[in-house]
Amino acid sequence: MLTYALVAGVLFGLYFSLVGMGLNLVFGVMRIVNLAHGDVLMLGAFVALGVVTLAGIDPLFAVPLAFVLFLLVGTLLYWVLVPRLQGSTNPEMLSIILFFGLSQVVEAITTIFAGTSERSIQSRLLGTVFSTIQVQLLGGKPGASGPIRILGQGFPAPWVIAAATSLVAIGLVYLYLYRTRLGTLTRAVMSRRDEALASGIDVDRVSAAAFGIGLGLAAVAGVFAPFMFGSITPAFGADATVTSFAIVVLGSLGNPLGTALGGVVYGVCYMMVQTYLSSWADLLPYVLLILILLLRPSGLLGRRVRVA
Amino acid sequence: MSPDTKPVLSVRKLVKRFGGFVALDGLSFHAAPGEVLGLVGPNGSGKTTAINVISGLYAPDGGEVVFDDVSIGGTASHKLVHRGINRTFQVPKPFMSLTVRENVRVALAYGHVGGTPPGLDALLDEYRLAAVADRPAADLNSAQQKMLDLVRALATRPRLLLLDELAAGLNPAELDWIAERIKQLAASGMSIIVVEHLMGFIEHITDRVIVLNAGKEIFEGKLAAAVKEPQVIEVFLGGEHAA
Amino acid sequence: MPSAVKHVLLILVPLIAVFAILPGLYQNHLLLFNFVTFLILAQGVNIIYGFTGYLPFGYVGFFGAGAYGFAVLVMHYQSPAIVAVLAAGLVAVLLGLLLTPLLRLSGAYFAIANLAASLAVLHLVANPALESITKGPYGVSLTGTFNPTYAYYAALVVLAVTVGGVVFLKNSSFGLALQAVREDAVSASMSGVNVVRMRIAAWLASALVAGLAGGIYAWYVSVFYPDNVFSGDFSIFAIVFALFGGVATISGPIIGVLILYGVYNLIGFTTPQYFQLIYGLLIMGLVLFLPAGLVSLAMRRGWNVP
Repeated sequence: MLTYALVAGVLFGLYFSLVGMGLNLVFGVMRIVNLAHGDVLMLGAFVALGVVTLAGIDPLFAVPLAFVLFLLVGTLLYWVLVPRLQGSTNPEMLSIILFFGLSQVVEAITTIFAGTSERSIQSRLLGTVFSTIQVQLLGGKPGASGPIRILGQGFPAPWVIAAATSLVAIGLVYLYLYRTRLGTLTRAVMSRRDEALASGIDVDRVSAAAFGIGLGLAAVAGVFAPFMFGSITPAFGADATVTSFAIVVLGSLGNPLGTALGGVVYGVCYMMVQTYLSSWADLLPYVLLILILLLRPSGLLGRRVRVA
Repeated sequence: MSPDTKPVLSVRKLVKRFGGFVALDGLSFHAAPGEVLGLVGPNGSGKTTAINVISGLYAPDGGEVVFDDVSIGGTASHKLVHRGINRTFQVPKPFMSLTVRENVRVALAYGHVGGTPPGLDALLDEYRLAAVADRPAADLNSAQQKMLDLVRALATRPRLLLLDELAAGLNPAELDWIAERIKQLAASGMSIIVVEHLMGFIEHITDRVIVLNAGKEIFEGKLAAAVKEPQVIEVFLGGEHAA
Repeated sequence: MPSAVKHVLLILVPLIAVFAILPGLYQNHLLLFNFVTFLILAQGVNIIYGFTGYLPFGYVGFFGAGAYGFAVLVMHYQSPAIVAVLAAGLVAVLLGLLLTPLLRLSGAYFAIANLAASLAVLHLVANPALESITKGPYGVSLTGTFNPTYAYYAALVVLAVTVGGVVFLKNSSFGLALQAVREDAVSASMSGVNVVRMRIAAWLASALVAGLAGGIYAWYVSVFYPDNVFSGDFSIFAIVFALFGGVATISGPIIGVLILYGVYNLIGFTTPQYFQLIYGLLIMGLVLFLPAGLVSLAMRRGWNVP
């Protein structure tokens, strides 16, 4: 029971890292609170649904599709919304309201086209591409991959695939931030925005890229949402945003790699509470968020957030 | 000022650390009523930190700040304001969306205890803000914002006034004018501590200077004497070479 | 005439008078009651956001806590409605006190922590484990105190007190000092303002009015579920109404409620997603093009809007 909860917690935690990563990147670079983050996740889930129902292929193909799609959407959205917002007197506060508005728009449009019913994807469809390759190379019986065994316990294959994809995504974000020129500039903007501006860095270009990547990552996380949470509705976004916040704050706002740690801690707590105190599980993200903000406001890896 | 005047402020072996960095390392000095005291020293020598500790923005990590024979280290700023300490900021942050008049009204209403409050219009007039009195502070230029910051401080009737680079960015005519005002304030019995980089200005208005280096005082006396002191020359020249 | 008296005569008295007379002329009393509720909540947001600068994204927490405070007193202690309403205000103030540490957080952190706090209270109240106290997710039914007419007039009293409070803020050094704290806490403390005490005072005042409004709401509707009285819509509507009219003014939140909630009811509830779409676009347009609200249009022309 404990081993199961721990391993499941780590698997979910890696996935949760991916869920929070984009939100944190956007906040770190722009000081903007993207309350529509959860809605991008929800849209990512619909991309996966579309891939399955329209093309009938492995939803894993939705991962690159969703990323590229929302990379473009995010970059475009950045230029439409953010420069105007940064010019106002209180961009951080107004960004909350602006992106809340955006989240309403996204939810409404999705509801108009997709209705409010719960949608799910059969979990055996995820990863069929692997078993197909396996069958073609090594022979054997075609079909869905069964549960994957870790430490003697069986875990649903989608959990493992989502966790693995998250690991890859975290690695790529790390490479972007520490091994590319744009990424280095991104880190410069994150640590001192005003100085970056003064030193002639094209902050808008860096920010647009970060915004695009942030939304892309959220959409990728969304692809796995139907498998991790069972089903998806257009209203899923709001809850996902609060959860993402809890994860991001846990790992420290403005430090995208801290989010990886925050996600794992969150995932393990989540599974522990699910296992041992299930009737109180709903309270977890909120209480955890408040406690962390008050007790260790800089997150597990830190930065200062208090006013006084 | 007679040399035996009792100091209104005594700073004794003040220590302030930020993480591993020691900003104040046993700083001691005093200030007397009616005196203009200059704090000079290279960047990072602890001048602004000293003002921040005296005005209650930071609690000291060691040593004492004594004002009117009472130890005030770590007391909240607004209480120090009520005791008679006030300051201006290197980068003034007035209440941007409030008008100039409203900015000062806050300090008049909350900043002083007992006695007649200074007249609002007279203060604005004296510091050349009467014409913009009903404009939001955000509309002021930076010299005007500095004057508003000073007026806010004066509205609380301080007996100890800390001026952090008030003169920076003023033109020569404004410099002469503000120097006269500062001298007049001191003549009324106020104790004034000035942090400034403009040595001519310091020489003109101060009775005495404290030279700081690395969070400690290395000289105390007239500025004219300070510039002949080898240690002071070393610190300033060395500082410039390093920069 | 002092401006405070002028503001009372020109804004407070006509507002209350109109809403006192309207039930005799207009049949949809529930709609009128909702208008009054949102007027109270928008002014409550005005106190904590407009004057003090904290965006209360979980403002509904106080409203819901008030509603359940009322319900618990009526269900378990058979309190008279008026006593239960006062207790509702008290419950919200106590919740506010419990949450004062949140005031240490800045900007977005406060907003998100406040949202999380309201959701935590919702999940606490709705938890089946507390069924014996709150009836958990199954909702409460308070038929014993049901009296919409009294509840409506009680709401008017709370509205009068709330608007009166905002008139005070607009005309007193206290209100000016709150705004000073909002603009710059350090400069405010160097003006002699006790920053912490000011923030707490504004926070508890806004909690109080939301709690009273929640208690009266429970009295008026008498049957409700946790999801009703903790609905995030209350927070969002109150914030958007206040912002649309213009915060840190007396008239802005009133104008915002009258126009936007009016439009809301004209569009109707039949197609909620189209409504949500229009609403979302409106919010975005507001932030991008009119961040200081409708009254700022008049102020730009040099008119003095109270």
